[in-house]
Amino acid sequence: MRHEIGSLEEPGVLTPTVPLDIGVRSHRQRILAAMARSCAEKSFAATTIGDIVKRASISRGTFYKHFKNKRDCFDATADAFLVELEAVASEALTDAASPTDAIDRATAAVLERLAAKPAYADLLLVEAPNVDPAIVLRYRSIVVAALDALWRKGKEGKRAAADPELTFGRAKVLIVDHLAGGEAARLPSLHSELVYLALLPYIGHDKALKQARL
Amino acid sequence: MSPSPPSYSDAPDASAQKQVDGSKPDLHLWKLPRGRHGLPPELIAQSQRERLLAAVVRVSAAQGYQATSVADILKEAGVGRESFYKHFKDKEDCFVAANDTLVADLEARVAVAYEEPGSWPERVRRGLATTLEWFGSNPEIARVMMIEMGTVGPIASERFRTTFRRFTALLDDGKEFIDAAPDLPNLSKIAGGAVFARVYEEVALGNCANLPQLLPQLTFELLLPYIGEAAAKKELRKATKAEG
Repeated sequence: MRHEIGSLEEPGVLTPTVPLDIGVRSHRQRILAAMARSCAEKSFAATTIGDIVKRASISRGTFYKHFKNKRDCFDATADAFLVELEAVASEALTDAASPTDAIDRATAAVLERLAAKPAYADLLLVEAPNVDPAIVLRYRSIVVAALDALWRKGKEGKRAAADPELTFGRAKVLIVDHLAGGEAARLPSLHSELVYLALLPYIGHDKALKQARL
Repeated sequence: MSPSPPSYSDAPDASAQKQVDGSKPDLHLWKLPRGRHGLPPELIAQSQRERLLAAVVRVSAAQGYQATSVADILKEAGVGRESFYKHFKDKEDCFVAANDTLVADLEARVAVAYEEPGSWPERVRRGLATTLEWFGSNPEIARVMMIEMGTVGPIASERFRTTFRRFTALLDDGKEFIDAAPDLPNLSKIAGGAVFARVYEEVALGNCANLPQLLPQLTFELLLPYIGEAAAKKELRKATKAEG
């Protein structure tokens, strides 16, 4: 039986309440956090394994137990945050009444998480395209597939002319503009406009404006 | 002793009055004759500066800004190290100055296309066509302005952001011409963001030559948030005709 870190069960002799791999897990988390902070401060290009090792207070050997190289570690950091955002979004839309409602809730939840973790947001949206544009294309296809699925489920296929890939691009540009301007805390203020953008390829300009209450 | 300032200035606006002839911008790499040539020092300084700017663009486009050294730039430009440091503080200073002259050049061309009389959507389409053609026929410049600028550091990133805002600000007067343009706080960025995202992607993937043929689709996407589907589709059809 596995336990979450921080669960409050009585310590037991026969069944450990602290997971046996807690050390390994926390090393990995620390390395990812160190990568995010270093990228935010000095960019991926200028970050060295030495920077990461120092910030994470681990040895170089430990780093290489987890990751092949700097790029491998960067990809893992971006992926981990993407998985986190996916979880946040899918949790937010569980009780949604309609696809529109789902988009409304998921957008709010994702923006809040991006605002709360600006270093990770920066890594995923600002640094990743510089490191390798393919990373962005990959997570764009994840977001677009999720949007498409939402509308298929609601028995309404894509029916407007706007390209969902460009909708993703517009949203990204808008978020990056805020991040780069040091306005991460103000990201939630983009909520209505991002809802409009997410709806645009599916229900069209006029209805999207109305639904986004703009 | 520092040379008298050449016509290129660090202020991005300064060369906006430069003659715009619609031809390809040149990356000036012509060299001055060796030995005594009796040319005035200001002309020599200007030539050096222009060659250094062209060289940093070429070398960064080919091997990436991060992998470029001052030595690489000197070799490409045929300029000595001492002269380099008369003009620029360091590699970053040189690179950002090159970007500024490119931005000013593109901005001037777009302004000419946009300011010619016509309906607002038509003017937007002409400005967009100019941009796509410029990047389409200058892959090195596109690479430097769209991709490499993002890899330099905080100063360049801020400049990059300012440039994006200057181009989207051109669209701000759309609200005067369009009845019932929606009241989105970031309307021009939402409109321009589609073009930016697509151009960025094509340049990053090395598909600059494809850019001009994206004009109809991007005209539609650019105008959509201002005028809605039906009107934007009309402009898409006009753009297809204008292209064909």
